[in-house]
Amino acid sequence: MPEKRLNQMERGERGRVIGISPCGSLRRRLMDMGIVRGAEIEMVRRAPLGDPVEFILRGYNLTLRGGEAANVLLEVG
Amino acid sequence: MDADRVDGSSVEDMASAIAEGRYQAIGEILEAAVVRGERRWTYTDIFDHVFLSRSLGIPIFLTLLWAVFAFTFALSEPLMIIIEEVFGALGGIAGAGISNPQVASFVAGGVFGGLGSVLVFVPPIFLLFFALSILEDSGYMARAAFVMDRLMQSLGLHGRSFIPMMVGFGCSVPAIMAARSIEGEKDRLITTLVIPLISCGARLPVYILIAGAIFGARYAGTAIFSIYLLGVALAIIMALIFRRTLLKGEPSPFILELPAYAVPRAKTTVLHMWARGKWFLIRAGTIIFGTVVIVWFLAAHPWEATAGGEVIENSYIAIIGHGLEPLVRPFGWDWMAAVALLFGLLAKEVVVGTYGILLGVEEGALGESLVALGLFTPLTGFAFMAFVLIYVPCIATIATIFRETNSYRWAAFATAYLIILAFVVSGLIIAIGGLLGFS
Repeated sequence: MPEKRLNQMERGERGRVIGISPCGSLRRRLMDMGIVRGAEIEMVRRAPLGDPVEFILRGYNLTLRGGEAANVLLEVG
Repeated sequence: MDADRVDGSSVEDMASAIAEGRYQAIGEILEAAVVRGERRWTYTDIFDHVFLSRSLGIPIFLTLLWAVFAFTFALSEPLMIIIEEVFGALGGIAGAGISNPQVASFVAGGVFGGLGSVLVFVPPIFLLFFALSILEDSGYMARAAFVMDRLMQSLGLHGRSFIPMMVGFGCSVPAIMAARSIEGEKDRLITTLVIPLISCGARLPVYILIAGAIFGARYAGTAIFSIYLLGVALAIIMALIFRRTLLKGEPSPFILELPAYAVPRAKTTVLHMWARGKWFLIRAGTIIFGTVVIVWFLAAHPWEATAGGEVIENSYIAIIGHGLEPLVRPFGWDWMAAVALLFGLLAKEVVVGTYGILLGVEEGALGESLVALGLFTPLTGFAFMAFVLIYVPCIATIATIFRETNSYRWAAFATAYLIILAFVVSGLIIAIGGLLGFS
């Protein structure tokens, strides 16, 4: 299955988390928000100026900057 | 978690295991207990489709911001005038009713003056927090941060810094208090330190007096507008400098949930407003009150020489002003400017009133007598306006910085850097203006 980083997702694209790059407190905060292996994430939209990006996971809307989203690896399709 | 994706620290391993285990348990419970219907469009989806859209997101944000602003300052201005007049009148009554002139002056200038200086901030602070609570409780505040984050990031700040900085155009005190909503400590400190450079409403009367007197109706508007631009430019420059020196590091991560929209409840909104506003009354209020009493003392003493605060030229404040004159002489200002700037610490608009007392003329005729006495040339006047923009905003702002950072060091640092910056910028204006042939 093709792999993508979370910041490379297109509008409406869905994927399943397969890993988070090790990155201390940021990694822990991402996991606290429910981004753990197996979580399904859908990209909703970019902010009007292109960054941050809005996602839906576990039934709620989460926003992340592209730089932070790049730490999350997903399998798509 | 895949072994090759973990950096080997066992704490991280355990954190991952706990988070995964927790979400697995949640998933199992949800699967057993919840029947999911087809995903339909909710009100939140529909609102966000418009409020966060590429074309309308920013115009809608700016419109809402303008509405908050217009609501707060249009409603609070008449209330502030009423409070000032009521306390002025109370001071007058007390002054007339107390036979000992020194006690009467203390009650009028010190006690009622001090109370008035605190309470005059109540309308803008409470109304602003009321409006911001509505934005917060409706769910829009998180979206505002989402919309503005990209722009603020290029200034080394966080999306949440934008609204406090805009509030600074009205008044620095509620602006610094609004900076509380910024999570990252460094982001919050940088925002707090640069907010005083955003020109607040109290500085406008000073610009109007000076610019009106020396540039005339035709160019006064341009001069005042350029002072506002100067303030914004300095705030951006100082934010970038602080981010690269004192408060190094990346802006804190932007990990923010967009909550579902909700109709704010009146009770919650009022409680939010009160919870924030009362801190100003209790904590900053005591400092402001104390300072006003001290300044009253310095302006009305020595008692015999000033004839009970009537002749400011003979007061301790004037002595300090004369002492400070060598500092402002290079800029072409005299001791009266030094005294006016000292009084301006109470509130910037007091600079105007101080000139009125020192020159012994009504406020309406003040501009003419500034010109007639030749106190300012266009160049030294413009530098004076820049100085008023930059140097310590007012006692209330410093007290608020002290209370919000809970550190007298940051309050002292903010005061010191703003005074130094004021001297540097005004000096540059005089020097460069002189080289370009202005006088």
